[in-house]
Amino acid sequence: MNARSRTKDTAAEVVTRSHAGRAAERTGGVLMKQARHAGRGVLLFVDTCAQVRNVGSVLPQLMRQVEMAGFGSIVVLALIAGLTGMIMAMQTGFELQKMGLQENLGAIIGATFLREMGPIWCAIIILARVGAAMAAEIGTMVVNEEVDALRVMSINPVRYLVLPRVLALVISMPLLTAIADFVGLAGGALVSEAMFDVTIAKFKESAILLLNGPDFWYGVFKSGVFACIIGTIACDRGLNTTDGAEGVGRATTSTVVLSVVFVLVSDFILNAFIQAVMRPIFG
Amino acid sequence: MSDTTSRPRWGQTELELPVMPAAPPEGREPLIRIRDLNRHFGPRHILRGVSLDVYQGETLVILGGSGSGKTTLLRHLMAMLRPEDGRITIKGVAAGGRDLDMASASDEDIESYRRNLGVVFQMAALLNSLTVLENVGLPLVEVDRLPPEQVRERVVESLRRVYLPAEEILNLKPAALSGGMRKRVGIARAIIQRPRIILYDEPTTGLDPVTVNGVNELTLDLQKRLGVTSIVITHDMNAAFMIADRIALLYKGRIVACGTKDETRLNPHPVLQQMLTGSTTGPLTEGYGS
Ligand SMILES: Nc1ncnc2c1ncn2[C@@H]1O[C@H](COP(=O)(O)OP(=O)(O)OP(=O)(O)O)[C@@H](O)[C@H]1O
Ligand SMILES: [Mg+2]
Repeated sequence: MNARSRTKDTAAEVVTRSHAGRAAERTGGVLMKQARHAGRGVLLFVDTCAQVRNVGSVLPQLMRQVEMAGFGSIVVLALIAGLTGMIMAMQTGFELQKMGLQENLGAIIGATFLREMGPIWCAIIILARVGAAMAAEIGTMVVNEEVDALRVMSINPVRYLVLPRVLALVISMPLLTAIADFVGLAGGALVSEAMFDVTIAKFKESAILLLNGPDFWYGVFKSGVFACIIGTIACDRGLNTTDGAEGVGRATTSTVVLSVVFVLVSDFILNAFIQAVMRPIFG
Repeated sequence: MSDTTSRPRWGQTELELPVMPAAPPEGREPLIRIRDLNRHFGPRHILRGVSLDVYQGETLVILGGSGSGKTTLLRHLMAMLRPEDGRITIKGVAAGGRDLDMASASDEDIESYRRNLGVVFQMAALLNSLTVLENVGLPLVEVDRLPPEQVRERVVESLRRVYLPAEEILNLKPAALSGGMRKRVGIARAIIQRPRIILYDEPTTGLDPVTVNGVNELTLDLQKRLGVTSIVITHDMNAAFMIADRIALLYKGRIVACGTKDETRLNPHPVLQQMLTGSTTGPLTEGYGS
């Protein structure tokens, strides 16, 4: 009886261990793969930076990408930022009103937008709207052998395809962030005036310290970094598409997922960096 | 020859025996020399020692079943894949007119080689966001940096050469063209830099018979008028016999037959015979079906 139960235990243990072993193996495999991909992405980014000196040769593509990525995103980003500003003003306004502190709405909404909401909303809209489309477009080009055709013609795909796309994001995302900041604050100001009797002038007065400080520029700086991350991930995923149409779908999805993760992780790191290094210098 | 009579004479291993490149026709120099080329994809051994010579100015047709590695071989010749084993040498195309050794070539050598190379991709591989003018002129604009008027002139000339109504289609996007026109535009792009070597990956698949003939005549025409060396992958036997100087058969990752059209017709190799007759019984379809 004793012996039998022991054998059973051992058998069960073997089963669990091999399950755990396999799970660990799989997790390890996935981690290794992601690490390799990340490494590949970094290399692509370095390669792209090295191509910046050739930017003169891709100006038409750059213009087209700025138009698509930048101008195309203004309306939806403004809508979302404006609504967020209004919602935030409403939600915080009620609480502040209880304590009679609603005069500070401008400072609160200003801080949230300049520091986080502006850059993050901009990144989310761009990665969903533009990053996914970039990955799909480049992925389709890979599947149709168009990228091979470029290589055979001695046209470097990093210069011809990646550089204008990443650069277009680096140019347009900080501007879009500024727009999101402005519209978000405007939305907040409108609600503050309509619901909490905080005049626009009061709202501005409360926000002015922030507006004059370096926070706006920190946000813009962050959005430039996000642009590099999103552009590089989208192009890398697109360029490494395999398995035809199905692969294009995978490239698109993983661009969105990876971009969200990396944008948030880098946001955390950048905030720490700003607090530790930049604030002591710029305030 | 029927398959039943041929089968006893050919064991499976004999089917896969590689042929060594034959003596050069009319004492010509081989331009491209492939020796014992191997390629794995993961555990799969796709090219298993390909040896092949391609002579200056000839049109070599490569036949082979689906998945036999034809495109993979072509990708090696495009320098998209470097030989993992074996050698590919190409005469006088590296930087400074030296011979190119694919395994040890520098980026500069590859660039110089590709300057001499035109590739016609299976699906034409035109850039969808560009017009016909921009597509065909792409290498002139991006690599040679020619001024727009000159590009346009060369593009029109190139489109005329593939019998396309240049003025009509210059400003159309590829999506607005028929499959046959797209392929011709692809050929126009491949020849615009006046290459010495043109690689065709199934240039006539999916085209109507008239366009197929048009593309074949074009291949012949380019060889005659521009003296280019062509390597053509095709499944189309008529096309093969129309345009080829020599025909090679790729089977299970090796060149198992290679010769002139007459030699090919008379070659008793069962795989070749099956390809020629299109029979569904034979080594190519062994183990399929029931
Ligand atoms: N990049 C790759 N990764 C993995 N396997 C590959 C890759 N490229 C080709 N293969 C495999 O190599 C084999 C040969 O492919 P290849 O495209 O050369 O065949 P093919 O002779 O051109 O066939 P077809 O006539 O259908 O075009 C196929 O089985 C394919 O799955
Ligand atoms: Mg193929």
